[in-house]
Amino acid sequence: MKRNNVIFTLGAFLVLLAGFFAPSIVTNPFYFFAGYVVVQYIVIATGWNVLGGYAGYINFGAAAFFGSGVYLSAFLFNTFGVPLWIGIIAAAALGALLGLAMGYLTLQIQGVYFAIATLGLVIVLETIVHNLPGLGGARGMAVYGPAPPAWSGGPVQYVFFVILIIAVACVALARWIEHSWIGRGLRAVRASEDAAECSGVPTLKLKLVACSISGAMLAAAGAPYPFYTNFIEPVTAFSLLIGLNAIAMPLIGGTRSWAGPIIGAIVLASAQQIATVTISSELNILFVGVVLIAFVALAPNGLLGLAKRKSAGASK
Amino acid sequence: MTTRRQFNKLATLGTLGLAAPTILSSKAFAADKPIKIGASVSLTGPLASTRAGEIGYELWRDDVNAAGGLLGRKVEFVIYDDQSSASNVPAIYSKLVDVDKVDVLISPYGANLSAPLMPFIKQRNLFMVGMFALAGNDRARSDKYFHACPWGPDSMLGWPRGFFDIAKSINAKRIAIINSDLEFSSSAAQGGNQIAKEYGMEVVMNQSYPPNTSDFSAILRNINNVAPDAVFVCSYPADSAAIIRGVKEIGINDSVQIFGGSMIGPQYGSLLGSLGEDLNGLVNITTFVPAPTLESPGIERFFERYTPIAIKEKLDPLGFYIPPFYYVAGQIIEAGIKGSQSVDTAKMAQYLHSHAIDTIVGKVAFNDIGDWTKRRTLMIQVQNVKGNDINQFREPGKQVILSPEELKSGNLITPYNAARKAS
Repeated sequence: MKRNNVIFTLGAFLVLLAGFFAPSIVTNPFYFFAGYVVVQYIVIATGWNVLGGYAGYINFGAAAFFGSGVYLSAFLFNTFGVPLWIGIIAAAALGALLGLAMGYLTLQIQGVYFAIATLGLVIVLETIVHNLPGLGGARGMAVYGPAPPAWSGGPVQYVFFVILIIAVACVALARWIEHSWIGRGLRAVRASEDAAECSGVPTLKLKLVACSISGAMLAAAGAPYPFYTNFIEPVTAFSLLIGLNAIAMPLIGGTRSWAGPIIGAIVLASAQQIATVTISSELNILFVGVVLIAFVALAPNGLLGLAKRKSAGASK
Repeated sequence: MTTRRQFNKLATLGTLGLAAPTILSSKAFAADKPIKIGASVSLTGPLASTRAGEIGYELWRDDVNAAGGLLGRKVEFVIYDDQSSASNVPAIYSKLVDVDKVDVLISPYGANLSAPLMPFIKQRNLFMVGMFALAGNDRARSDKYFHACPWGPDSMLGWPRGFFDIAKSINAKRIAIINSDLEFSSSAAQGGNQIAKEYGMEVVMNQSYPPNTSDFSAILRNINNVAPDAVFVCSYPADSAAIIRGVKEIGINDSVQIFGGSMIGPQYGSLLGSLGEDLNGLVNITTFVPAPTLESPGIERFFERYTPIAIKEKLDPLGFYIPPFYYVAGQIIEAGIKGSQSVDTAKMAQYLHSHAIDTIVGKVAFNDIGDWTKRRTLMIQVQNVKGNDINQFREPGKQVILSPEELKSGNLITPYNAARKAS
């Protein structure tokens, strides 16, 4: 375990180092634009997986948390000139609070009812934003960010590095949860909530922790988004596609391990990015749909599950 | 065994091979390469009905290439599907600029998809033609942005102004404003409120409704209760159809002189056909209708070629609202390149700022932020429509132009109830 921790820390450090020096090696900004989306989805998928994968509570409302992070950081910047870093922390705090509220409100209901309730949260928040002129309402809000620091190489390179730091932090946190008593407790909740409760596992407390951490990660993923697009509007910020991808990515990669959402996000988000600029028609969406169905049908435990099955088969 | 001569040959060929991309992409060789125009079109998603515009790009490209290209170079489009989502726009346009190396850009459709691009084109000093975004360049104020659509200067107020000018001309004092809770219609309603104030009119009802509302009976009954002189409706296609059908079912107060203004939907062939004679009397905004005052050889030739393609591809068979202006976008680029005899975007922009240009929708001049110097949106009234035959809308006299004055092709029929029955 200790050895694994050292390898993980080293890996995380190398990823950040690569992200820091990337602008001087990769001069074409397009790769940062496309890369941002992929890394953003790593954060979203990892955040979703804390509740959906570890605890087995399917959350369709990832867009609600993401959108609230988007709007809070944009509002703080436009109104008070609050820097992005504080915006991210504020967004994570708001996401955690929303997650806690969702936990209290809906953790008493399970299964499909929980999923529908989380979907309702997206619609509620989107409607609120639509009706708040201070947040631009339906017309949206332009966010002209400050000039990026000189070392960053440009605005898109800067937000890419920021989202990379968030991703590394979220993955490290998810990995810690997975290996800690929280992860063990959540696995017990997923296996059988009643049995876990009877065995003395503090299920409600664990679920609230999972909801809050998941919400914080999803909202933090949204915080740099206004500085990436320079314009936000409720339909995109609360898009159901975000919620759909948040579920699909861990499913493709594997929901049992912290690495699953990373693999799923890289595979699916890259495929979507490539398809957007290559296939470029209705076939694009069909392609993504077919890939999704193929993964769910052929690898129900994700790519990691498939790899494990293969290695188990080979060792027999 | 490789001899020294063979080695030297290999080394020379290898060096040439490595250097070829740099040499061939240098300015001396650029003259042979096509001029690339980059754009995104909403081929899928909620804005997919705007994809008919792509035919406008293709017709213009074919015309220019048939005439020998621009400065002797062929013209080529690089187009991606933005899926009607603003979140796809930054990466697509970076791909166009940084990977595909296009020479000029055309924006996606509308304000929400164009807005993410504005800081990008300003920071990178890029040339872009704007498509249908109200006040698209008001904040960024790029000097290399030119609008292909006729919103005119101060477009937030220009868009609703035509309707209120007509209301003022018939001495309407009490206005009801209803709008969908979405970007474009909210902006139009806000503009309408400002103009009503400016014209000394009283807004007796101001109600927004959530998107996807399909039953307007309560709203229409409220309108009937307040008995306004004019009803300014800012709606999207599905609600526009539901409102027109609601008026047919519930009826409207005889006090209402004019009804409509900013209803998106009755510009498209699909809704004109499905609503047919129920549209009679509607006063609404549009960009082009068949009328003697708008006839030109260019526009006729455009529709002669557009219609068969659109029918074959199952797109808007009439194509009045959007497609001609996609052709105009190409003509703006053409005028800039030909006028400045260069693909240097600074020279192109300089030329376009200082010269009026000819397009298939008439002469166009640009102000300092690329808006048309004169608003040329049309306020029309639907008249004399019988049944649901879509082809009748190809004839003049079915959508008569009331404003602007110089393009007027018919007279307003009031009150709205009388206009609804007149056919």
